Amino acid sequence: MEKFLETTYDKFIFRVKTDCFYTKDDFWVYLQGKIATVGVTDFQQKVRGDVVFLETIKPGTEAKQGQGIGTIETIKATFEILSPVTGKVVEVNPDMYENPYLINQDPYGTGWIYRIELTDPEGDKVGLLKAEDYFEVMKEKIDQEAKNLYG
Amino acid sequence: MIDIQITKVGIVSCSGEGIPEGTLCRLACRKVLDELRPGETVTICLPLFIAGGEEERTFASRYPTITVDGCEKLCAAKATEMLSGKLSKSILIPEVLKKRGIAHPAKLRNFGPEEAPAVQAVAEEIAKAVDEVLEEG
Amino acid sequence: MDKKPKKVVVLPCSGIGKTYGALARETAYELVERVRPGVATLTCLPLLVINDPEARQLVVENPVITIDGCPRDCARKSLEALGEKAAEACQAIKFFTAHKDLKPEGLAQLNAAGQKLAKVTAEELAETVDRLAMEGDK
Repeated sequence: MEKFLETTYDKFIFRVKTDCFYTKDDFWVYLQGKIATVGVTDFQQKVRGDVVFLETIKPGTEAKQGQGIGTIETIKATFEILSPVTGKVVEVNPDMYENPYLINQDPYGTGWIYRIELTDPEGDKVGLLKAEDYFEVMKEKIDQEAKNLYG
Repeated sequence: MIDIQITKVGIVSCSGEGIPEGTLCRLACRKVLDELRPGETVTICLPLFIAGGEEERTFASRYPTITVDGCEKLCAAKATEMLSGKLSKSILIPEVLKKRGIAHPAKLRNFGPEEAPAVQAVAEEIAKAVDEVLEEG
Repeated sequence: MDKKPKKVVVLPCSGIGKTYGALARETAYELVERVRPGVATLTCLPLLVINDPEARQLVVENPVITIDGCPRDCARKSLEALGEKAAEACQAIKFFTAHKDLKPEGLAQLNAAGQKLAKVTAEELAETVDRLAMEGDK
């Protein structure tokens, strides 16, 4: 059964899946041996809005931790997908092309974006946050968003 | 993080498809949310609430909620009571217009200056209700 | 025997918090008021939920086109929860992806591009309305 850390602001519930790692740029990564599954966090999809388009790099392309590997266009803005890990893209979620809003509906599940074969799994972990640490980062960002909205 | 939250009031607007009062309801609610009481109000999307939206239902069960309906069918009030069990206040637009002596709008959409007094009057009633609910604490 | 055209019910999600909720609504009105008056007819989602008999009868007896404003798909899901299936389930975001030059904005009222998008989309949906109206029994 999936476990989440949760916090609420107004009516919005923000979730962080406990078995993933995270970046400060609000991407998650789930590690299974040498394969990383990558997606957008619940916080990011809520703040950025409903996804309209996705541009991805092809399987076989190299990805480097922190570098851009595609773009997401939402009803509010366009932003880069920043790779949380270093390795080679082995799969792009085939459902993304027809249904990019899976990122909004199920950001940690069917809304995954890439599977990446890792070059240096232990080295990548240095640049990643554990779920409970990302949870604190996320709560600060939520506070900031609220201040921006309401002063 | 804000764990102790300043109380906010949920506003549930009826959908009001096919009647001018439905459009009036939506515009007045948005005016309250965006201009008259920003920071004190939260919109509860009625269709999402009905369809099982966890966030909408959780908020409505924990925080005060005001429903605003465009006609006597009272869909927002009834659906809120059915699904979250309580509402703090129920506003019915024809009653507000009658009280303020304002004519019902005739257009279904694309409201302009002619409809502005009706939108303002209803928005003010909603804002007053928000203040009363917050005061009751 | 000639088939008698049925009414086609258009059910927008009416979502108040998002631009595409407003687009769903505006597209529904364009269909019902301008593009296919007399054939396309509106009903209101909450009326179905509170068991309004007229609204219920309308969706039981006629094909329904749902138009949802966000990935939550409230109109489609709520209709299914009542035991009915949409004959056509549309997502307003896809109206934009088909016409990227018309970016809708605004929450309570749409901007000019959004209103134009609603008009264009309603015209494109007219064919679906015609087909559903002529298909006979639901």
